[in-house]
Amino acid sequence: MATATKTAPSASMQKKTKGQIVVDWLTTTDHKKIGYLYLITSFTYFLIGGVMALVIRAQLAAPGLEIVQTKEQYNQLFTMHGTIMLLMFATPLFAAFANILMPVQIGAPDVAFPRLNAVAYWLYSFGSFIAVAGFFTPQGAASFGWFAYAPLSSATFSPGIGGDLWVFGLALSGFGTILGGVNFITTILTMRAPGMTMFRMPIFTWNTLVTSILVIMCFPPLAAALFALGADRRLDAHIFDPANGGPMLWQHLFWFFGHPEVYILALPFFGIVSEIFPVFSRKPIFGYKTLVFATIAIAALSMTVWAHHMYVTGGVLLPFFAFTTMLIAVPTGVKVFNWIGTMWKGSISYETPMLYSLGFLTTFIFGGLTGVILASPTLDFHLSDSYFVVAHFHYVVFGTVVFAMFAGIYFWYPKMTGKMLNERLGKIQFWLLFVGFHAAFLIQHWLGVIGMPRRYATYLPEDGFAWMNLVSTIGSAFLAISILPFLWNIYITYKRGVKTTLNDPWGYGRSLEWATESPFPRHNFTSMPRVRSESPAFDLNHPEYAAPEAQAEAKKKG
Amino acid sequence: MRRKNAFRWAALPLAATLMLVLSGCSSYEFSRGFLPGEPGVTNHTDMIVNLWNGSWIVLWIVGLIAWALMFYAVIVYRRRKGDNTMPPQFRYNNPIEALFTVVPLVLVMGFFAFTADTMEKIEKPVDSELHIQVIGKQWSWDFNYKDNNVYETGIQSQFDGELGSEAALPTLYLPVNTSVEIELNSRDVVHSFWVIDFLYKKDTFPGKTNYMYFTPQREGTYQGKCAELCGEYHSMMLFNVKVVSRAEFDSQMAALAAKGNTGQLDSSYDRNLNLPGNGSDSKG
Repeated sequence: MATATKTAPSASMQKKTKGQIVVDWLTTTDHKKIGYLYLITSFTYFLIGGVMALVIRAQLAAPGLEIVQTKEQYNQLFTMHGTIMLLMFATPLFAAFANILMPVQIGAPDVAFPRLNAVAYWLYSFGSFIAVAGFFTPQGAASFGWFAYAPLSSATFSPGIGGDLWVFGLALSGFGTILGGVNFITTILTMRAPGMTMFRMPIFTWNTLVTSILVIMCFPPLAAALFALGADRRLDAHIFDPANGGPMLWQHLFWFFGHPEVYILALPFFGIVSEIFPVFSRKPIFGYKTLVFATIAIAALSMTVWAHHMYVTGGVLLPFFAFTTMLIAVPTGVKVFNWIGTMWKGSISYETPMLYSLGFLTTFIFGGLTGVILASPTLDFHLSDSYFVVAHFHYVVFGTVVFAMFAGIYFWYPKMTGKMLNERLGKIQFWLLFVGFHAAFLIQHWLGVIGMPRRYATYLPEDGFAWMNLVSTIGSAFLAISILPFLWNIYITYKRGVKTTLNDPWGYGRSLEWATESPFPRHNFTSMPRVRSESPAFDLNHPEYAAPEAQAEAKKKG
Repeated sequence: MRRKNAFRWAALPLAATLMLVLSGCSSYEFSRGFLPGEPGVTNHTDMIVNLWNGSWIVLWIVGLIAWALMFYAVIVYRRRKGDNTMPPQFRYNNPIEALFTVVPLVLVMGFFAFTADTMEKIEKPVDSELHIQVIGKQWSWDFNYKDNNVYETGIQSQFDGELGSEAALPTLYLPVNTSVEIELNSRDVVHSFWVIDFLYKKDTFPGKTNYMYFTPQREGTYQGKCAELCGEYHSMMLFNVKVVSRAEFDSQMAALAAKGNTGQLDSSYDRNLNLPGNGSDSKG
């Protein structure tokens, strides 16, 4: 399908007035537009959370600085940085990519519940704004850390409307996430095109399914816990009162959500790179079924490891949680070797999406290693709540979410807008981001090992943390600068990017989105190829290299 | 494209060297895997250092294999200019996939065995010679020397950006080579008692008592910090630990008694007692 059909402009495509465009976006139930709304909103929060991180890094550049006026403000900054990055950027970014791509990948015209989809987006959007709006109140935003440990998060120790806004805003936003999860599961189970069996779904769709199952298992406990905390704060309830073991109860409820949440952030982005490695290696994904089973195994194990965040509370069964946590390394390692296997003996080219995927893999391997270290209570007793943990989860989460996000944006930009992003700017941005990220976070492992606790607004000159913090701050500046070429790239592509008429501008696309027009037509397909393997677009465009089952079936049909 | 690949190839050894240089390492620091402290600070630290080093050696081997395979593929299997052929389209290889499932599984089992053994030794309650209660409070510490019936109460760090504030921090005295049981409580929110060179921390909870057991083996002054976010002045909740000879410990106890610090700072100072609905017997 190298010769693309050009869609004739229809009556509905007359130039719209500005008001019509706004109303159209506000009232849309189209899964792609909702996906773009998610993408734009979450990227905006990424920039806001990033600016907060820069202030945090500036404050720590040398001992005794007072970049922020009070330590309370510093606490607000890291609390909201964590909240924004996890719940307003990374989680909805999953909804963004899943909304834009998953229905196309399974050959569906939309999701199962389009209006519910719109409701979910608006719940997320308003909920997130409410949680962040604490900054506009006199006492400022929530400052009890993004995991809001009781009793610090109670009205006694953290009075102020900012904390209330945080609690109820996140509860509202959480409902959006749950509804999105329900929608994705239903869509995948009921709306696959003829021929699209479960084991022919692209890995990204598989990961969307597994992630959505995790969402509906672990977000409801969070919503319940948040309402209980809200009741404590506003209605004088005593659910998390220390008199009845409330602090431990909160930690269990929070991490029962919080740990699977980490995998909700990781799995979709594993899915994105699993789509990209085969295309630029010109080979099918290596070990499709082991990848799927590894994903399921990770998800199942992730529900059983929550208390590894609580080793130092002296109140959890250490051997059980240590063992299950260590076990997660096995399916994760399987994935890493499957990605390497996909590249093995391939014919690899280094367009920007591939570069970002390799950046992800390089970074993620190290995050995996430090994760195994932290799984051991013997070692975690020293490292818990130190900068080693901060470095570890930035390697895992930033390495996965941000690297794979840029990979995905560059990869699917022609499908979303009909234009390719500039490759040269993309590569400049990649190297700035890669070097900046590692400069900012690698050194933090050593900081943690020599004893710097996380969430410290400042430190003593006697501590000997100064030069490492300075290195980290300089790295964070490079990291921030790397966003500029990206924004410039979006702008110049909008202004004078060349339209692509190809269905598959990368040439070796595999899943169904590469068999339809760029950008997507209104209902995703005007015609659809036969689905005979997990790579229908590739089978169509490169029949002589198609999957064996596709070739056999094609021969039978003559 | 070729020049870029060459840069990638150099990146790994470059990064490794940079790591070592940047961290200003000496062979001594390297032998402890950069963990702080000296050999034998407490009866547990050598065990922890050994597990740390052993784990990192295995993990670095696994990691280097993964990175090496990845960079090998990136360099060797790059698409050459003018190459329009397709590579072999293999989809799976069951023996290799089984191998990279089973080998990590075995490694994990081994790692768990060593972990389980050491953590059992660290966490095991010991019938100790000395009993001390440490109470976290926003944003300092109270130390009750239970056997000597004296106490010390601290205030938060008065750090103003200059050197020298550390000497004024509340200080916990421990006699060397004496097994100690530390009872951990909190007056308000969750804190965490971390003596950095002891390579161990444990949370202090309101309404829950935790214990830690160890024997300090080297005289010296050690830094301690609160490791769990506890409010605005979390970063000022610092303390020192002085491990001293028995004679010096006894004279310090006498000095505390002479200052009038006799008795114990009990739970009547807990702020959670002021919560509505809490009885005075709420402390667990």
